[in-house]
Amino acid sequence: MNHIVVLNLWQFGIVYLLLLIVLAVFKRCKINQSKFLLIGSLRMTVQLVLAGLVLTYIFENPHPLFVLLYLAAMIAMSIHTALSRNREINKRFRAIVACSLGFTGFFMILFFVLGVVGVNFWNPQYTIPISGMIMGNAMTGVSLGLKTFQENVKTQKAQIEALMNAGATPKSILLPFVNKGVETALLPTINSMLGMGIISLPGMMTGQILSGTLPTTAILYQIAIMITITTVVCLAVFFSLFFGYRTLYNKKNQISLDLL
Amino acid sequence: MELFSIHNVQFKNIVNVNYNQIKIEECKTTFICGKSGSGKSTLLKLLNASLSADHGEVLFRNKPIMDYDTISLRKEVTLVSQNVFLFDDTIKNNFVRFYDYREEKPPSEVEILEYLKLCMANFSLDTNCKGLSGGERQRVFVSIFLSFKPKVLLLDEPTSALDEATSNALVHNLKEHCMKNGMTLIVISHDKTLAENHSDTIIDLNLEA
Repeated sequence: MNHIVVLNLWQFGIVYLLLLIVLAVFKRCKINQSKFLLIGSLRMTVQLVLAGLVLTYIFENPHPLFVLLYLAAMIAMSIHTALSRNREINKRFRAIVACSLGFTGFFMILFFVLGVVGVNFWNPQYTIPISGMIMGNAMTGVSLGLKTFQENVKTQKAQIEALMNAGATPKSILLPFVNKGVETALLPTINSMLGMGIISLPGMMTGQILSGTLPTTAILYQIAIMITITTVVCLAVFFSLFFGYRTLYNKKNQISLDLL
Repeated sequence: MELFSIHNVQFKNIVNVNYNQIKIEECKTTFICGKSGSGKSTLLKLLNASLSADHGEVLFRNKPIMDYDTISLRKEVTLVSQNVFLFDDTIKNNFVRFYDYREEKPPSEVEILEYLKLCMANFSLDTNCKGLSGGERQRVFVSIFLSFKPKVLLLDEPTSALDEATSNALVHNLKEHCMKNGMTLIVISHDKTLAENHSDTIIDLNLEA
């Protein structure tokens, strides 16, 4: 059970033929995204090849500095991506989002690697892939939560104005929007937990089983990572919005949606 | 007594407005007229401190308006905005929800019905606001804010969705109610006849600017 079939490059090449089928469907349905699909597949290939090479090098020459650099790059990229999907928010709000995502992500990585798995933090084989899963999910959650918050606040301008004029505090007016944002960000993660093991064998578990890990061990990892992901999404979104919404009003209780 | 006085106030974020010395008296009905973009709505927002002036001073009872606690001020000086907002819920629950946000107890059903009647909105309390027309929503909206019993009621185009007869009756009722309860009424309207018929004073921003 302990050997894995290494993919032969020529055999591997046939997977790209599948893209032709997708392209044919695009053409038939007049979906104007062929270029996007090609760019996407190309970028994925290049990025993963690079990641493969870099990881191979790091695994052969493990050094704390490499782990730290990889981690820093991952956190920076996740912050950049989450913010670039929500360009309009103000500077202070952006800084709060960056801190919330960075710190909660880093803390949950520490918790998982040191607390749950209990291996040396500088062991790249554990720290790097686990960080990737945690940061990737935290990033998606924060983008979604932020987008929901922003869109709801913008479409409910009349509500915000009416309540402000009625003498409600900015906190009581805006907190329901924060709650909604956190809820929306968490739903996909919770939904995926529901189908897990029956409809889908999740990525991490599949990978471990393919590489020869006992399924009973693989499920423990999977359960642990799912709960960690739920927590990191919850905390990162909550801190982003709970501290971020305060940038939308001043001491005179004037809510300014231009700041969003 | 002078309730508000406005000295050389400028607000240029949205509109370039220059208010020279406007005075608004207590317990009177003041109409504000002026063409679009002359800063009528901005003026009302300066009076309930939901906007701050860039330059100049807005005094409320002879004290700079920004020295007041703005939340208590807005409960005393209440602005009914042009943009009507009601929850997709019954009229009764709309009152309840607005009062929740103010952290106050809602009025009794009898009182609510009185306010609705005063605002020409004779609907039963379990009518869902979702099904009301624009003009009906506007009147329910005004009745909620009137029930807050503010000292000063600021109305931004309260009759924009109403026909002439209803407009006249509504403003007449509101004025009578305010006089009886010692309230100050400040109304923005582009309807000259309405202003002339019901006002004690008219401020024309075209002339003031």
